[in-house]
Amino acid sequence: MGEFGTAFSVSLQSVWNDSGFSSLTVDNVIMMIVGCLLLYMAFVKEYEPLLLSPIAFGCILANFPKTGFNDEMNVMMAIGFGIKYEIFPPIIFMGVGAMTDFGPMIADPDTMLLGAAAQFGVFIALAGAMLLGFNVQEAACIGIIGGADGPTSIYLTVKMAPHLLGAIAVAAYSYMSLVPLIQPPVMMLMTTKEDRAIKMPQLRPVTKFERIVFPVVSTIVISLLLPPVASLIGMLMLGNLFRESGVTDRLSDTAQNALINIVTIFLATGTGLTMDAESFLKAETIKIICLGLVAFIGGTAAGLLFGQIMKVATGGRVNPLIGSAGVSAVPMAARVSQMVVQKSCPGNFLLMNAMGPNVAGVIGTAVAAGTALAMLQG
Amino acid sequence: MHQPATTNPLIIMCINMTIVFAVLIGLSFMIKFIHMIDPTKPKEKPAEAPKAAPAAAAPAAAAPAAPAVDPNLNIAVIAAAVAAYGGDAKIVAIRPIESAGWKSVGRVNGVQNTVF
Repeated sequence: MGEFGTAFSVSLQSVWNDSGFSSLTVDNVIMMIVGCLLLYMAFVKEYEPLLLSPIAFGCILANFPKTGFNDEMNVMMAIGFGIKYEIFPPIIFMGVGAMTDFGPMIADPDTMLLGAAAQFGVFIALAGAMLLGFNVQEAACIGIIGGADGPTSIYLTVKMAPHLLGAIAVAAYSYMSLVPLIQPPVMMLMTTKEDRAIKMPQLRPVTKFERIVFPVVSTIVISLLLPPVASLIGMLMLGNLFRESGVTDRLSDTAQNALINIVTIFLATGTGLTMDAESFLKAETIKIICLGLVAFIGGTAAGLLFGQIMKVATGGRVNPLIGSAGVSAVPMAARVSQMVVQKSCPGNFLLMNAMGPNVAGVIGTAVAAGTALAMLQG
Repeated sequence: MHQPATTNPLIIMCINMTIVFAVLIGLSFMIKFIHMIDPTKPKEKPAEAPKAAPAAAAPAAAAPAAPAVDPNLNIAVIAAAVAAYGGDAKIVAIRPIESAGWKSVGRVNGVQNTVF
């Protein structure tokens, strides 16, 4: 009995020592609570549940001690490689390309300027981040949250400030889901009722020739100019070619459904796995989340301001509200433009007009990220 | 590995925004150029066509296509659809609407059902 008791006690001690409980810290528990909170936001509040739920669960998983996720080859490490080696964001971009109709942008290319103007938010936040003590590379990654483009934020952060990945991804996706709450007050503040009532002309039909030539030529131009973002832009345009060619329906279907869903699971879970207590529970995280909001508001305001300039320049043809769609949360930002216009002027439909700057914003954010990489990558 | 060209946020913004604008302006010109050389775009109707003598033959030429969009059939279908709703609805007139509102509503619904 004595021998049994000793063996039992030693075994129990060994199980305890090997268990996560023996090494669990208060910080780990706090991060698990954060994970549960994010799950609540995803499932109950429905804030980007497709992205936030795997991020949240990854966050919980990342805070179990002694899992060996980062020490030995396993599925979690493989998922981490997909982020570390920038495999997932371009594949997501292919799916986005396959889902996106470039037609409104091709039909009214002048509105692409609004997609450029909204990138000012990126640099407002960059300046703010540098004032708060972040170095220039970290500040650029924080600023790109204002582009409202999750894959580009992750892509840039992995290259320039991988230790901030968790905080930046959570801020980017959280604010993207909050676009319908963040943008309308800024939109109401920066436009008059008369502005919102402006009816824009219907867009011209776009031919298949234009739809196919545009992605090919733009890939060549942008990739030659900014090679660091060639994979992002190339995959975006490849996905769009699948959609527009008319002879690759199966590839288009896979890119915009099965493949993007699979990769979203991996990308979001992998992002959550970077949210361990050691790298997330810092004052910097709070700063990043605040700066992300500044970036979003700055981008929205800059787009609206440029919309006002375009309204004057075109003799009142452009409704300045489509400027806020220049941040690239596709198609959420365009929907918000439509929603705000409809509240003021119920018979006014400018959703398709807003899709032009919205899609241009995706390209604009990728270009801004590529330029930042070329200028700042250490 | 190299040092950043500058760490001044204002200079970074100026350079970066110049490039973003230049690329998107370049793309917009490229789109216009593609539209210009597009061999498949519908030919614009000459303004003087209605006045020209051969145009008089146009209605006759278009006549065979008429049964494909038989207006009576459309009216019958629309009337049946309205009647299917029941109630006291009374059809006063059936005519093409000028506003693009219905089309836009359809597009809004289509985009709202899209989740990225």
